Amino acid sequence: MRHDSQHDNHNLGRFRLSVSATPDAKLSTGERRLQDALAIEAAKRSEAESKLVTAAHREATPRHAELEKLIADKENELNSNRKGLPKVMVMEDMEKKRKTYILDIGVYNKRGKEVEIGTPAALPAFSKDLPQNRLGLAQWLTNGENPLTARVTVNRFWQQLFGIGLIKSPENFGVQSEVPIHPRLLDWLAVEFQESGWDVKQLIRTLVNSHTYRQSSRVSPDLLEADPTNRLLARGARYRMPAWMIRDQALSASGLLVDKKGGAPVNSYQPEGIWAEATFGKKRYSRGKGDDLYRRSIYSFWRRIAAPPMFFDNPGRETCSVTISLTNTPLHALSTLNDTTYVEAARALANRAASSAGKNGKPATQIAHAFQLVVARNPSEQEQEILENIYNRAQLRFTSDPGAAANFLKNGESPRNSELPEPQHAALATVCLGILNLDEALTKE
Amino acid sequence: MNPLTQHQLNINRRHFFGKSATGIGTAALSTLLGKEGLSANPQGNDKIPDYIRQIAPKAKRVIYLFQNGAPTHCDLWDYKPKLKELHNTPVPESYVGGKRFSTMTGNANGKLLLAPVEPFKQYGQSGAWVSDFMPHIGGIADKVCFVKSMHTDAVNHAPGISFFMSGAELPGRPTMGAWLSYGLGTMNDNLPAFVVMTSVSKGTTCGQIFYDFYWGSGFLPTRHQGVKFRPASDPVLYLSNPDGMSKPMRRELLDDIGRLNEMKHQDYGDPEIATRIAQYEMAYRMQTSVPELADISDEPQEVLDLYGPGVHESGTFARNALLARRLAERGTQFIQLMHAGWDQHRSLTTELYTQCKDTDQPSAGLIRDLEQRGMLDETLVIWGGEFGRTPFLQGNMKDRKGWGRDHHPYAFTTWMAGGGVKPGITHGASDDIGFNAVHDKVHVHDFQATVLHLLGIDHEQLTFKFQGRHFRLTDVHGKVVKDIVS
Repeated sequence: MRHDSQHDNHNLGRFRLSVSATPDAKLSTGERRLQDALAIEAAKRSEAESKLVTAAHREATPRHAELEKLIADKENELNSNRKGLPKVMVMEDMEKKRKTYILDIGVYNKRGKEVEIGTPAALPAFSKDLPQNRLGLAQWLTNGENPLTARVTVNRFWQQLFGIGLIKSPENFGVQSEVPIHPRLLDWLAVEFQESGWDVKQLIRTLVNSHTYRQSSRVSPDLLEADPTNRLLARGARYRMPAWMIRDQALSASGLLVDKKGGAPVNSYQPEGIWAEATFGKKRYSRGKGDDLYRRSIYSFWRRIAAPPMFFDNPGRETCSVTISLTNTPLHALSTLNDTTYVEAARALANRAASSAGKNGKPATQIAHAFQLVVARNPSEQEQEILENIYNRAQLRFTSDPGAAANFLKNGESPRNSELPEPQHAALATVCLGILNLDEALTKE
Repeated sequence: MNPLTQHQLNINRRHFFGKSATGIGTAALSTLLGKEGLSANPQGNDKIPDYIRQIAPKAKRVIYLFQNGAPTHCDLWDYKPKLKELHNTPVPESYVGGKRFSTMTGNANGKLLLAPVEPFKQYGQSGAWVSDFMPHIGGIADKVCFVKSMHTDAVNHAPGISFFMSGAELPGRPTMGAWLSYGLGTMNDNLPAFVVMTSVSKGTTCGQIFYDFYWGSGFLPTRHQGVKFRPASDPVLYLSNPDGMSKPMRRELLDDIGRLNEMKHQDYGDPEIATRIAQYEMAYRMQTSVPELADISDEPQEVLDLYGPGVHESGTFARNALLARRLAERGTQFIQLMHAGWDQHRSLTTELYTQCKDTDQPSAGLIRDLEQRGMLDETLVIWGGEFGRTPFLQGNMKDRKGWGRDHHPYAFTTWMAGGGVKPGITHGASDDIGFNAVHDKVHVHDFQATVLHLLGIDHEQLTFKFQGRHFRLTDVHGKVVKDIVS
């Protein structure tokens, strides 16, 4: 026997050992006490004695046990139903406001002056008429007198469509930010947005219908020299899409996308062992099944210590970061060339293109269909020739190595559902993987 | 390298990089590599801008052997005879002075001092005292600079590690490697500038996990974050071709994607398309260069022996140390090894032995290996954790098997070697029981400033503007420890 507490002074109090030959012997020696209690007149029993008698009575009456079990079962059912309900976090103010202080150089226990609710002096004042809480803050933020909220919001949507905001620093509209490139446009859009009742759809419609947005993104050498980053918008925007969008596009073009709204997050494809490595095996990733693999990127489950690796350009989420990361590294290319998501999408895209080309459709037609599905135009003659070349070479290789064709078509969980023979399907899927990796496919233009 | 692969690579270098007339040449590569970094300039990608280059760099790269969990300075490096004398007596109040400890210890007053578990010995000409736990590192003591007056602000692991790596206890700032990738660009087109490898001792009971913000890029562009090399069959995520796609087939496909992109480039004139072509070409080369890097079959036996028996198993600290040298040879600038399991709350007489065995020989072996190759002078090797451990006991004095020490931020030891650091010296000192750093104290920010200095960077000039403020690794602190710079 070993005393294993970390605390020296914690000792066992009364130590007792009991021995019995009965397999399920109870520790209690209640029998005797029960007999004594029963001997006493009911009205004269002490509280403890009454309890003892009641308990014994219950134990001895089967109907009682039945009822008790029924109650317990119903309670369990109620509880498990309650547990099944989704939980929603609700924020509310404390009944009594907590006192808040300026902390001396931020040290949590060095309290300085007590402070009240308010906004920085440089910003519009926080009226005493507003509720002095979060609701008041929301009203202040969206008050027509406060230009900042609408400007910031409009600028972010602009950035989303044009790759770069009217103000380059979407997270900073302070004195240290860039001066907006078209200040009057920004203000006009901001006021329109407010007056439309903060209608995002309408804002986006205004932006995408504009002449500026609809310009061609071709770059002439003169334009390139005059405005290399296209701040002045003399040409249409052209930039690599974020990783989450590239994934959504591949799912959509291939027809794999499950366009279901809402619900719990899903676990799509990721290489094995990432969670386990980060947690010494304590957490293991369990990949979803069926529809879960093909939901939009926005529904992906996000473990903060090990973010989904397919979103190769996403910030770490420790600090709020709203700028788009547009750089390209070889690692990004590896992801869109080799990740199961894209290889499977290529296979499904091939299947889709083949069916839309009809039963007797030629490879050339199938290829053109696939190209059209991804980049929304027909390939030029020269492009068509190169794509057919990919097909022909791949088909030769896959015909001579049917095992490779079968393996290539096994990437991803969705069943292969095609009337094409394996080598032809694999060859077309190879072309599709190429199409999904074209600059034009990865880029918004 | 396989001659066939070499041939394929050459064909493609000619194909893509030889055609300067079409505009796809080295300029494209430099956009790809240097873009958004400080070094974005058309001439090249490894030039440090003048305004951060104050000092001639002494080191070209860093290998940081980070020891997660806080190794016990009292038992490994910081020899204090007085601690043995005062064994089993309460720590004098004069040392404690209201200091904050972890919630496990709470108030340190009255805690019993604990003598080092193993004896210390003097090594080499420098006469450095090193514990019997670390005989191999003792053997290279004359090449090492011990900094025994380290101190930090944090008392718990994740904030402590984050503080060392990023200069802030809260996650979300760029880490040292990310700053360097941003400031220096990359030296090798085929490998990332900042690589991370993790390992953990077998049978450890420690619960600290590897958060990816230990090598994150914070608010710097994501491309600067550390690339994790994994012990799996794919050392880098998505490195292998998909099942069924052979290497020649991939090559052909990439050639054709390249041709199509080039046509697009002719049509649209966007230089980004040239970047894309280079990007895909580099990805292909990485598919060869990374497996080649991870394949250690060309290492002679005597080199493998330097790192000890663990080197034969992938995912160990020893293997990672060897890979670190291979990465260093190939131009990776910041190699961050993280070895977990140093959190000896009640395992000083048990798990600590395994922990030291796992790290002692490989760490020393790495230094010797670098030196043999003439690379030590230009490679800064750092060995240390996020804080130290209490000179007093955590646990029960009567239960030797359960002896431990708690977290201790007020004094600990980090050692460095090579890369412009004076060899065979000890800098700074803690008091006579290793409780508080007292002479030539080195704060984490001072340490960071010194590392940047050794790489030729002025830590006050390497900044990034975010949310209206210029941020730096050392925040508004940090003094270069000139005394250790050779």
